[in-house]
Amino acid sequence: MAAADSPSATLRRRDLCSRGIRLAGKMRSDVIDLLDTYVERQGLDASASVAAVEGVPVAAVERWDEQTGTQRLLENLAAYRAFRALLAQMLEEQREQVGEADAALGRALAAVLLQVSAFAYHLEELLQLENHGAPSEEGAGPPPPPHLSLFERKLRGLGVLRELAQWAVRSARDLRQLAKPSLGSSLAPSPAESP
Amino acid sequence: DSHIQYERVGADVTMKCGSMDWDAAVTWTANGTDIDESHLNGSYLILKNVDLTQSGQYSCYEGSSWHLKYQTYLRVGTPPKEPVLMCRSNNYPKGFYCSWHLPTPTYIPNSFNISVIHGTKEMVCVKDVFPKNRCHIRYLQLFLKVKYKVTLTVTNALGKNSTTLTFDEFAIVKPDPPESVVAKPVPNNPRRLEVSWQNPSSWPDPESFPLKFFLRYRPLILDQWQHVELSDGTSHTITDAYAGKEYIIQVAAKDNDIGTWSDWSVAVHATPWTEEPKHLTTEAQVTETTSASTSSFMPPPTTKICDKGAVVGSGAVAVCWTAGLVLAAYGVLFI
Repeated sequence: MAAADSPSATLRRRDLCSRGIRLAGKMRSDVIDLLDTYVERQGLDASASVAAVEGVPVAAVERWDEQTGTQRLLENLAAYRAFRALLAQMLEEQREQVGEADAALGRALAAVLLQVSAFAYHLEELLQLENHGAPSEEGAGPPPPPHLSLFERKLRGLGVLRELAQWAVRSARDLRQLAKPSLGSSLAPSPAESP
Repeated sequence: DSHIQYERVGADVTMKCGSMDWDAAVTWTANGTDIDESHLNGSYLILKNVDLTQSGQYSCYEGSSWHLKYQTYLRVGTPPKEPVLMCRSNNYPKGFYCSWHLPTPTYIPNSFNISVIHGTKEMVCVKDVFPKNRCHIRYLQLFLKVKYKVTLTVTNALGKNSTTLTFDEFAIVKPDPPESVVAKPVPNNPRRLEVSWQNPSSWPDPESFPLKFFLRYRPLILDQWQHVELSDGTSHTITDAYAGKEYIIQVAAKDNDIGTWSDWSVAVHATPWTEEPKHLTTEAQVTETTSASTSSFMPPPTTKICDKGAVVGSGAVAVCWTAGLVLAAYGVLFI
């Protein structure tokens, strides 16, 4: 408990947060570019509406401003771990599709997957700093959805990327909240730390 | 017994004198002025192709007794055209507001009804007291992809019309312009201007939701703007200003990640520091009021004598200074 509040811990948290914020910003920008490439290469309509995709963590949150630092980190970590598995799945499916034109898409997917993994790692570091420890990952990720046609898989991929873009914005906001000096510790809700 | 009657511009209006028979002798007045019998069909008042100027109070009096038998207030107007609706979040992430207006007036009272649907949920947009045609909503959830659908219906006695806007949470984020923009010359630096500003006061949490800024500036005498985008900080030093030229400067703001740029701030003017002492001009202006003979020897501003900006060869500079000295000497002779 005491370690989390030490000046060096505060500095380290601030440092991890600002690097995380930059990562999230770059990730969002790359995901948006990837979305354009994905829509084009997969022959989809950019304005196609995709129903909520099972297994994709939803960025939407109520009372966002009331969340504790730990809650933010845990929700973010769970999300990016899920995206890591989902993107790996998409990459594998995409590689099965034949075609030179898809090589660029494959590279873009791989690049975003790398950023998502890096971000998840970042979050684990932040949780360590809070002496919380990252929850263990259960299983290898979401099971492959059964019997989805090629088109359904493409739409699902669109839903995954769109939600990831939402998360990237949310994560930057979450980290800025964490980095605020007034929130000295991100431990479980302690009242009256604010003036 | 009076009431209000609404009619469209261009309509033909027939007014009956209450329960009076068609052949009763009556007198009609419009805003107290007798109406000519040519407009009457029996006791009915016929107004053809009414226009806005015919709005007013119409009264019908029984012929001989001058008893008031009927009174109506005629309001000539039009049914509403499609309203103009705008929704915007200038206080993200607290919520957003929608405001509306009619493209052309109807000249009669209108009522507005706004509905906001988010996914399957209907939300209440709370009407503002001022300005009137505006309502606001607090966000219940953030980072949602689901779009908001806002429908505005305007209704009046002659018809109704509506418009719908669909948007997502991020798209309507547009901060107010930066405030308190100040531009100052930098002493001993003829090409610099120091600009500073503040976050718009309506933006609730600039620490968690930082703004980035766009600065534009140009000398008054040129049309082309210079632009600088700044990802943080609320100040910037312009280092390439033309010496002695008055500048106009504006700043705009945008959330770092989402939404669109604000409108430009109020423009500020500033002139970089110049070596020519400004008090010469001031003195000349003072002497102008006290002695007319010196006014013709008021040294023109430096920019007119040495109109070459800062990038000037040493020869030209010498000429500038010489001209300045000569004029100063002339001025002294006449004091």
